[in-house]
Amino acid sequence: MTVSTAPSEDLRQETSSEELTASDVPWVVIVWNDPVNLMSYVSYVFQSYFGYSEAKAHELMMQVHTQGRSAVASGSREKMEQHAVAMHSYGLWATIQKQDQQ
Amino acid sequence: MAKAFKYGLKGITGYLEPAERDLLRNLFDDVIEMLEPATPAHQDPLAALVGFDPDVAEPTDAALKRLLPNAVRDDDAAALEFRQLTERSLRETKIGALRAAALGLDAKQLTLSQNDARLWAMALNDVRLVLAERLQIKDEKDAEAINAMMDWSQAKDVDSYLALVYNFVSWLQESLVQAMLRSL
Repeated sequence: MTVSTAPSEDLRQETSSEELTASDVPWVVIVWNDPVNLMSYVSYVFQSYFGYSEAKAHELMMQVHTQGRSAVASGSREKMEQHAVAMHSYGLWATIQKQDQQ
Repeated sequence: MAKAFKYGLKGITGYLEPAERDLLRNLFDDVIEMLEPATPAHQDPLAALVGFDPDVAEPTDAALKRLLPNAVRDDDAAALEFRQLTERSLRETKIGALRAAALGLDAKQLTLSQNDARLWAMALNDVRLVLAERLQIKDEKDAEAINAMMDWSQAKDVDSYLALVYNFVSWLQESLVQAMLRSL
């Protein structure tokens, strides 16, 4: 026989709400417009790095160009951090944030 | 005169005059020098192994800051923490691409694999980011004014010379990226 170690009802609720904020709200990578990066190059980076189709890469690139920014990927914080560093290695300016901060 | 990059049976090929190769070599070397970390890898071997650098700070030089931008906006502490964990390896990645491109300039034939081309495009892009900062290109209007300078007889001071160099590197990168897009 084992002794039950189940936490009290209150504690359990607190834990589950914490888990919700920590892992269920996705993070995004935002790429910002600048007057230097070539439109063709930005499109190439979105296609080759993220594996996006030509159409999707073009759409995201145009969003950066005309709206000043675009959320180009979403997911876990760690993954978005990796993407941001990759964007910086290509010379694109990218930042990370929680999706609900947009 | 340089020829635009082309994509064909041999891969991506280009042609540069010796003077153009020297110019690009100098530009790549300048940016490599900017990116060399000021301090050696951290003494703590574990910190060095994971690339953590507690001594790192946001660059004061605007061009270097454009190469190594903050990854978190409106939160200096979070941006610095991210920098401590990633900046050293980002510098190494960029230096690696610039060295690869500089080395490629020594070859007689400019024949690039997809990966060579990717490293070249990254290197040319970093050169353009640095030149753009020196030329104070802040918005699309500034960029258009610089783009209008295409005639080498206009090179009468440092700024007009830099503008012409910027336009040459932009043209070269555009032709390379067009060839790369065709190769995807």
